[in-house]
Amino acid sequence: MNGILVIAKKEIRQLTHNTQLMVSALIMAFIFGAISGPALIATGGTGAGVGIDSLVFTFALMIGLLIGYILSGQTFLREKQEGTIETLLAGPLPIKDIWLGKVIGVLIPAYILTLASTALMIIIAGSLRGDILIPSGPIILHLVTVVPAFIACGVGVLGFIQLLLGMRENQIINVGVIFGLIFLISFSRELLGPGFTISWAGEGLILVITGGLLLAVNAMTRFLNKERIVRSIP
Amino acid sequence: MNEYNSNNSIEVRSVTKNFQGSQVLDGISFSVGRGEVFGFLGPNGAGKTTTLRILLGLLRPDSGEALVLGKSLDTADAQRKRVGVLFENNGLIDRFTARENLRYYAELYEVSDIEKRISELLEYVGLSDRGDDLVGIFSTGMKRKLGLARAILHKPDILFLDEPSSGLDPEGQKMVHDLIVGLSGQSMTIFLNSHNLDEVSRVCSKVAILHHGTIQAYDSIERLRAGPSGSEITITLSDPALGDRAVAMINALPCVTSTLQEHGHIKVTLSGQSGSAVLEALITGGFGVEEAVRQKRTLEEIYLDVVREAGGILGNPESVAIQEKGSVKG
Repeated sequence: MNGILVIAKKEIRQLTHNTQLMVSALIMAFIFGAISGPALIATGGTGAGVGIDSLVFTFALMIGLLIGYILSGQTFLREKQEGTIETLLAGPLPIKDIWLGKVIGVLIPAYILTLASTALMIIIAGSLRGDILIPSGPIILHLVTVVPAFIACGVGVLGFIQLLLGMRENQIINVGVIFGLIFLISFSRELLGPGFTISWAGEGLILVITGGLLLAVNAMTRFLNKERIVRSIP
Repeated sequence: MNEYNSNNSIEVRSVTKNFQGSQVLDGISFSVGRGEVFGFLGPNGAGKTTTLRILLGLLRPDSGEALVLGKSLDTADAQRKRVGVLFENNGLIDRFTARENLRYYAELYEVSDIEKRISELLEYVGLSDRGDDLVGIFSTGMKRKLGLARAILHKPDILFLDEPSSGLDPEGQKMVHDLIVGLSGQSMTIFLNSHNLDEVSRVCSKVAILHHGTIQAYDSIERLRAGPSGSEITITLSDPALGDRAVAMINALPCVTSTLQEHGHIKVTLSGQSGSAVLEALITGGFGVEEAVRQKRTLEEIYLDVVREAGGILGNPESVAIQEKGSVKG
């Protein structure tokens, strides 16, 4: 099996073996999904598609990032705290492959939980309106392509930071990330407005931008450095 | 760059490393031959772990080069498959079972016939009945055994061990020593990073003593023990009453550093390796020699002398024990 996939498989197993962490991530996904559904109804929207699109567009991105953030701590930081990263770095895989394997290992469960949370929000909103809400085509494309790519970017950057910086710096960054994400989840719909819609062309542009972001994150990995990681092991 | 000697598994040439203005390694050079069990000794903070990390490609030397099987592991990804390493934390995942841990590393190193190899190794380290237990509930000794199994899973040519018996009880230490001796019999090169003198003297054939970032001694244990500055002979005269006269004569010899009379024996410390000059002088002088026993220094004595001569803080064996209990790593 490819080394990247070995790391990804191990990370997924390790995450799913961690009951406490998985319960936290599930609660987070459930709470935000459950409270966002009624919020959608409360703020209203002229049509079923319009209302749901404005919320799903940002909600899926933000909840995905939040869950990715929760899981990446276990994947990148914990391995560093326990010192097992040193054994991994002394192994045959290049540092970039280790990083990529970990990003994939976080991305898969984070994306599944994001879809579950988004579905929950749509179901609750639909049941409150007595209607079946179906997101528009561009938003479904958004969920299938942009959301996982965006989570991968976020986890990639977080993992990069967590690997390279010391524990104190990571703690400070963690506080900023968690408050920033909760703020964005809470107010993103207000920023976009309830009448927000996205066209195929608009979603295509966002997809291109996200692709560029992925390339930028990938390019950033050339600054990953074993010496910096080893010297920041607590 | 000088040519690599293929008889050596490890070659370290004039390596220096500086951390924030502090010279951790100051031009160290040594080599380890194929199949050798090499002990890398030194007090805490001497630079042992830094050297190990440089060898493993985890740190880059400021100058000089550290070659493992002829290449720097920093860049040679494939070469790292030929190397096994056991750090103090064992590199194990607590939430996985022993088998799951070994399977993960076996897949990483692309080991063939994984399940068979895992069963073999669990048997080898005496954990075959604990393979399906979570590693998190293992004792320190069991984790170390499993860590060792993990490190040799892919049958490496070189095994790096960082303080393998640290934190283990005497029984656990003996188990680790037996495993190392067993591995050395399989023609594996072993680099043992340690400050446990007993461990090194039991399992290693050659040592380097590192202190203040420089190699203070580097030779086979046998040669160090019988080294030029330290052999000792205990002489028993046929007539102990002649002891004072004999001591006076021995003291006049240029190869003698000191003498000590106790319990009817004369202990003679020599500045050179040969004690034959002393015996010759005694016999020529008409003294009957009942017994002459050459005493070799222990590794602990060599270590303490080396560190003391290098201006270290160690002055007696007690201070070694204090150093070993410290947590700061080299």
